[in-house]
Amino acid sequence: MTCPSPPSPSEQRLLCGRALVLGDHVNADLLHPPAFFSLDVTRLRAGFLAGLGRETDASSDGTTWIVVAGRNFGCGSSRETTVDALRRGGVVAVVAPSFGRIFRRTAAALGVPCFVSQGSLAEVLPDEELVLDAALACLVAGGGARRIALEAPDPFLEAVHAAGGLLEWLGHRRS
Amino acid sequence: MPVASTLVEKILAPRSRGPVVPGSRYHAVEVDLVLAHDATFTLGIERIERLGLPILTPEKLLFAADHFAPPSSPERAAILGRYVTFLGERALPRDQLFRGISHQLAVEDPRVRPGRVVVGADSHTTMVGALGCFATGFGTTDILGVLATGTAFLEIPPSIELILRGVLPTGIEGKDLALAMLAALGEDGALGHALELHDHTGGSIDFDARCAITNQAVEAGATSAAFVPDAVTAGILHLRDGGAPPDLDRWAPDAGANYARSLVIDVASLPPLVARPGSPADVVPVDAVAGEPIHQAFVGSCAGGRLTELEAAASILRGRRVAPGVRLVVTPASEQVWRAASRSGALGTLSEAGALVTNPSCGACGGIDKGLLAAGELCISTSNRNGPGRMGHRDGRIMLASAATVAASALTGRVTDPRTLARSQLASWDVPR
Ligand code: SF4
Repeated sequence: MTCPSPPSPSEQRLLCGRALVLGDHVNADLLHPPAFFSLDVTRLRAGFLAGLGRETDASSDGTTWIVVAGRNFGCGSSRETTVDALRRGGVVAVVAPSFGRIFRRTAAALGVPCFVSQGSLAEVLPDEELVLDAALACLVAGGGARRIALEAPDPFLEAVHAAGGLLEWLGHRRS
Repeated sequence: MPVASTLVEKILAPRSRGPVVPGSRYHAVEVDLVLAHDATFTLGIERIERLGLPILTPEKLLFAADHFAPPSSPERAAILGRYVTFLGERALPRDQLFRGISHQLAVEDPRVRPGRVVVGADSHTTMVGALGCFATGFGTTDILGVLATGTAFLEIPPSIELILRGVLPTGIEGKDLALAMLAALGEDGALGHALELHDHTGGSIDFDARCAITNQAVEAGATSAAFVPDAVTAGILHLRDGGAPPDLDRWAPDAGANYARSLVIDVASLPPLVARPGSPADVVPVDAVAGEPIHQAFVGSCAGGRLTELEAAASILRGRRVAPGVRLVVTPASEQVWRAASRSGALGTLSEAGALVTNPSCGACGGIDKGLLAAGELCISTSNRNGPGRMGHRDGRIMLASAATVAASALTGRVTDPRTLARSQLASWDVPR
């Protein structure tokens, strides 16, 4: 499977990006240290992955990323700037065996879907091109050679994602 | 036959309006109180204004200014200013601003009682469950959703039962218990679950200690953490609100309630514990790291800046002086704590010992101000997180420990087991409970 660029409307449930491979228990402070808390977007973006010493990954060249992480991803602080920095850094989805509760909710609320993996993620290579098929709940690596099953998202989180975020979803509900 | 319920089921069942969308595990749950503060709430102000989002009635709101209080940079002054101005423009409550950390203000607030549902724009909102309520944290956007609808969209969590038994030895604090809990559960052992704490220690775990424990439950991934209301709860409510002790029996979990897991911690044999730099669940007895030179000691934060901790530190440091070159930063968790510690003499004692006593706020916790770390520095702290970069430079290191251990370490300049101080130094180390 390859990713069309840009996806046509019928293909919008395909998310494409390079693999940003991270480990277990990567907390919000590591993803975006508290020192970078700011309302200023430039300052916010400067903190992307700064706690991991991987600021150089934060290219501003329009690269999109799919984070492939270990257990309990995003645990810790509720600072929404963490998710916002990931989003602005080009992260379009996160796949992990489990997530910090607040991170997962906030990511959904800001339009970055988090998928729970069912199979092992060990074979995903750093920087390789990935395609995430949200409709089939499947992560495709190695140009189609490797497929990793994902849990079907909860209908609420799916509805929030389809609307583009929580406030957008609430807006739809009100109207 | 009625179904046996856990504490969390008893609280949430009557407030749930059912699944948010058909087939979802998320329920819309009516909330009693929403906590917010200057840092996280301000991230939502632009959207409230642009989208014309409604905001709950003031009776259900508690707004603190605790992070940038007072601000440490012009940018943070601007963030704080935006917050304070917005609250003023909307006639939202500002009476609690600058009075302390949001979670501490919540447990001091008569609106927070057993059985209530409290949500906050901060992960350590779990702490409020020390009073026997359901309390959980959210990100800013989810909080905007709560403010607009009056309901939180919640996965109703199954509960883990944590039974504490034995009698807590003198000098062992809530922090030691919190660390024992994190050692038992690991960083994700309570993920997706509520913790229900059953105190079978004959009242030896006081309310401040309970707060330290429920505060850190989120470091094990817990959605919420609540002490089952009992005589200690009744006592603190009576002290706070006066009047007759409330009927708390109705919140007791039913016999045969369905727990996902059950854990027992015998508190009688606990030594002072330390979480080594990097993870709050990397817990060892203080002996294992004793002797390591420290640069800073911190008594403060929503996890460890209450009267019990300030008095424990004061009793270690009474009549002595912090080791030369070591900075001991003391930040009471609220104005109420500050005043109580002033009345009890603890603040004076700490100041005479060379402590740098600051105003109630988050302070050094979260790397905000008054006690940040340089690369290579080691801080021993009563706060709750010790990952790289949490208190400044990412190569600064943080150990988590009780106030007694922090104070003993400040005294010697090295990580120190408070029990190893000379007997004469311990004469007054019997903190009244
Ligand atoms: S004291 Fe620390 S953990 Fe508590 S609310 Fe403030 S920054 Fe967060």
